[in-house]
Amino acid sequence: MNKRSEGGAELSVVRRSERARAWGRHHRRLVSQTLIALVSAPGTLAMTWLVIGIALSMPILLGLGLRAVAQTDSARALEPSISVYLSVASDSPEAVSLLDTLRRSPKVSTARLITEQQALATFAAQSGFGEILNALSENPLPAMIEVLPATKDGASVQLLVQWISGLAGVDEVVFDAAWMARLQALVILLDRVIFASALLFSVGVILIIGNTLRLTIASQRSEIEIIKLFGASDRFVQRPFIYRGFWLGLGGAVMAWLIVQVSLIFLAGPVEQMAQAYRSSFALSVLTFSESLRLLLVGGGLGIAASWVSVWRHLKQIQPK
Amino acid sequence: MLVFDHVSKRYDNGHEALSDVSLQIDTGELVFLTGPSGAGKSTLLKLINGMERPSRGQVVVGGQNITHLSPRKLPSLRQNIGVVFQNHQLLFDRTVADNVGLPLHIAGMPPKEIARRIRAALSKVGLEGRETEMPEMLSGGEQQRVGIARAVVHRPPFLLADEPTGNLDPALSKEVMALFSQFSQLGVTVLIATHDVDLVAAMGARTLGLEAGRVVHFDE
Repeated sequence: MNKRSEGGAELSVVRRSERARAWGRHHRRLVSQTLIALVSAPGTLAMTWLVIGIALSMPILLGLGLRAVAQTDSARALEPSISVYLSVASDSPEAVSLLDTLRRSPKVSTARLITEQQALATFAAQSGFGEILNALSENPLPAMIEVLPATKDGASVQLLVQWISGLAGVDEVVFDAAWMARLQALVILLDRVIFASALLFSVGVILIIGNTLRLTIASQRSEIEIIKLFGASDRFVQRPFIYRGFWLGLGGAVMAWLIVQVSLIFLAGPVEQMAQAYRSSFALSVLTFSESLRLLLVGGGLGIAASWVSVWRHLKQIQPK
Repeated sequence: MLVFDHVSKRYDNGHEALSDVSLQIDTGELVFLTGPSGAGKSTLLKLINGMERPSRGQVVVGGQNITHLSPRKLPSLRQNIGVVFQNHQLLFDRTVADNVGLPLHIAGMPPKEIARRIRAALSKVGLEGRETEMPEMLSGGEQQRVGIARAVVHRPPFLLADEPTGNLDPALSKEVMALFSQFSQLGVTVLIATHDVDLVAAMGARTLGLEAGRVVHFDE
């Protein structure tokens, strides 16, 4: 019946190329097979996807919020600009050349001239001392240039302030360094919080998927024993669980994507109202194509990681009795 | 060829299931393992396909010494050994074809070849055309025959059966034994553990008698 057994019951050896083809076939078969198996329990699957989706969407929403704060002019509104008070009149050649120098500097983002008249008008409107100011024969306020630094780095802003102080026509430079440092610290802190939460939620996702896979293994224990009894390797037995993990992670990522996009649509109205109230262009931007793609990759990757981290040892321990 | 050289098996709980067992079974031989339950029949079978390891002595299967076989090489050993159980051990959520084809899927055969071999194996056990049925719709005897088809579908050089006729009536038992005898004539080394002494006598095959883990007789 077996040509090998005729020669003295030699154990059969499968050739390497055949083995590679078999490997490929098994993988191709599992891609659809595992998905079909998962979909056959739609309630459980939807629940697992939703849990993973929520876990993945949390750090993403946090991250999008921070990105919106950091990118829009609301950040600039929070960042106090450098106020450069002039010792010369705003229409003097010194003032013009100073403005020009500042605008050309790569360290300066924008430089805006506020003339004596403008300063007076603003002061009068804001202080309510309009009557008194009108009584003055002369405008006591100096001209000013409002400078926005190009970088947010505290040290280089300090250098910029020192440099401006030495320029001709500058009377005084006022800059609230503490404010700047506080804001920066806050942004760094938020960044860390997002990173940490992303890490924690990722571990959570791995645990969720690992747990789901372990439950599946428990329910298929006798099947795994039989398969091993007929010569299935640990890798062979693990393979369907890698695919299951992948599908769980990928589906969870799709769910997270939906949660994020729906949340953004849901938040868009109130955010716009708030932004208008603050005269800010603050807006939450949706996930870009490449970000969406990365989210899906992370989801699928976490699923595969989960099937390695929490399944491999478990599967190896199951032996036919 | 199958060789046991002074093999003993002591379980972790101290129970010695086999003591100093030596035997040699040639290719294509059919051998019955007899003895009361607890005599060590199952343990002896488990030592052949690596489900258990000997505490002392050497086990050689098909020229390969498996006494200290690494876990990585265990699968390829098992792919060469068909096993039949008393309680069938079928997968009840899979069709007959999927059950029978299991060893072929593990070996990674192409689907066409698998379908062809499943057909051949099922016809050998008298279940032709039953591929799409579910095991639970089959009678006990039919389930047992599905189990036998699964054990031989990949044409292993070795076939181990643990009480394969335990749940069958005498007529069916005889049929199943006739199948095993056929396989041995085709060159498969067959080992059958049973306490159905009448059946063994009727078969006229070599018999290995075990009692309390020792070989008490090994004769034609």
